[in-house]
Amino acid sequence: MEYKLGMVFGVAVSLTVGVLIVAVLFKKRVLDMTFDERQERARGQAFKLGFFTMMFCTAAYGISDAVLGRWIDVITGCMLCVCISVTVFAVECIRKDAYLSLKERPWQVMTLFAILAAVNLGIGALNLHSGEVVENGVLTFRAINPMVGVMMLLVLAIYAVKHLQDGSEMEEG
Amino acid sequence: MKNLRLKSARAALDLSQQQLAEAVGVSRQTVNAIEKGDYNPTIRLCLAICRVLGKTLDELFWEEET
Repeated sequence: MEYKLGMVFGVAVSLTVGVLIVAVLFKKRVLDMTFDERQERARGQAFKLGFFTMMFCTAAYGISDAVLGRWIDVITGCMLCVCISVTVFAVECIRKDAYLSLKERPWQVMTLFAILAAVNLGIGALNLHSGEVVENGVLTFRAINPMVGVMMLLVLAIYAVKHLQDGSEMEEG
Repeated sequence: MKNLRLKSARAALDLSQQQLAEAVGVSRQTVNAIEKGDYNPTIRLCLAICRVLGKTLDELFWEEET
């Protein structure tokens, strides 16, 4: 009981801190949600793709649990579905130049992503080293950090590739 | 279909895509997409572009008769 209460408290504190950090980033204009009409349309299509990806992943997770047995714990399974869906959304937005808003500065946002990727991958590496990521053949919640780290890294890499491609195609003057 | 009239009107004022984009409040990629014919802007955006370039809707966005 105490363990569960501790877990709930930990999640509540993390969420609160996360929300506060995001609020500060919005206040400082590092993050912004001002998009032009083309970007809004592209983001709408990306949301649709992300939504259907989420549906498919959730179904696949449920079916895999029924067929293969418990191979991943519930929260980790849910987060895996979320990470895949968010990655699909982000990749589609990046493809359509609708990921960063009009007021966001690419280097600031990408630096933030790099930090988040490094922190999560670092925590993941520590967890892997301690051997707590898999317990009794089940992927535990300690796999969430490396998952999020990989997602951030993937988004960062795809954005970097797109940025390089755009740089070479950009019209001069 | 490419919008070459928009491109030449922009070039006549010596404006880059980035400068035109900032003037009308959109991203450079949106201006690029309009010029390449990959995106059809709303009437509001068309009017904003016409105001900045000093042209009419017909001059920039009316489809040429074939």
